[in-house]
Amino acid sequence: MKLYIGGAYQGQEELAVRENPKAELIPDFHEKVREAILKGEDPKAFAQKLCLEKPDAVIVANEVGAGIVPMEASERAFREAVGRALCVIAQASDTVVRAVCGIGARIK
Amino acid sequence: MMALITGGSGCGKSTYAEKLVSRLPLENRVYIATMRVYDEESERRVARHRAQRADKGFKTLECPIDLAGAAIEPGSTVLLEDVPNLLANEMFDGGSAERILPAIRELSRKCGHLVIVTNDVFCDGVIYPDSTQEYIRKLAELNRELVLLADYAAEVVYSIPVTLKGTAPCDL
Repeated sequence: MKLYIGGAYQGQEELAVRENPKAELIPDFHEKVREAILKGEDPKAFAQKLCLEKPDAVIVANEVGAGIVPMEASERAFREAVGRALCVIAQASDTVVRAVCGIGARIK
Repeated sequence: MMALITGGSGCGKSTYAEKLVSRLPLENRVYIATMRVYDEESERRVARHRAQRADKGFKTLECPIDLAGAAIEPGSTVLLEDVPNLLANEMFDGGSAERILPAIRELSRKCGHLVIVTNDVFCDGVIYPDSTQEYIRKLAELNRELVLLADYAAEVVYSIPVTLKGTAPCDL
């Protein structure tokens, strides 16, 4: 499994496609976490399930946790959930790449 | 040794900081808790953190404001969690933000080891009301000052420590 992260529109998806042309890509993983928690799923369990089902996938996500803690409880829960889920994915990945301005830095 | 650990929401900062402390001496291991518990959500957060460090031999010291008043034995190994809560309490609950840095300086002199958790709240691009903007600015200033004092600083990115300064004081 591989994980590509970055702030909004930092080129993580393009980088993931370029570096893994044949792999199955799961884009906008943070939005999938949003859908999962709306359905009442636990974000860690959701991520663990994905790791089991698609161990060779390339996961792409936005970093959403580096802001002022939102007043809105559901927004707070969303950011926290994305963090928890991505910790699981990052632990399961052999490679984690963080994109800034389209440039990837391999952090794992 | 002083370490500063930063990162975004839910990125595994606490887990990493606790792991760091668990590799340091066991004598007088103190957890300084700064969050005020005022609702069910903060109760859940405290419960999760307590469970996380349950077997690590910490004595918990509640210190939501006025860090200089925390009774710490010289030579202790201290985990201070976290700067953003301490700053919010000082700024919005009748304290003084200016006393945080001197108190941390003093704490780091007194401690054998000090691990500090802070937070990255700087990247959402939102312009907030003045008091919040002031809070963001002060937290950024504190983080920059604390990095100067620290022997080791790292940003935790979804459980992965990315070094900002120095080298980790122990293998993790």
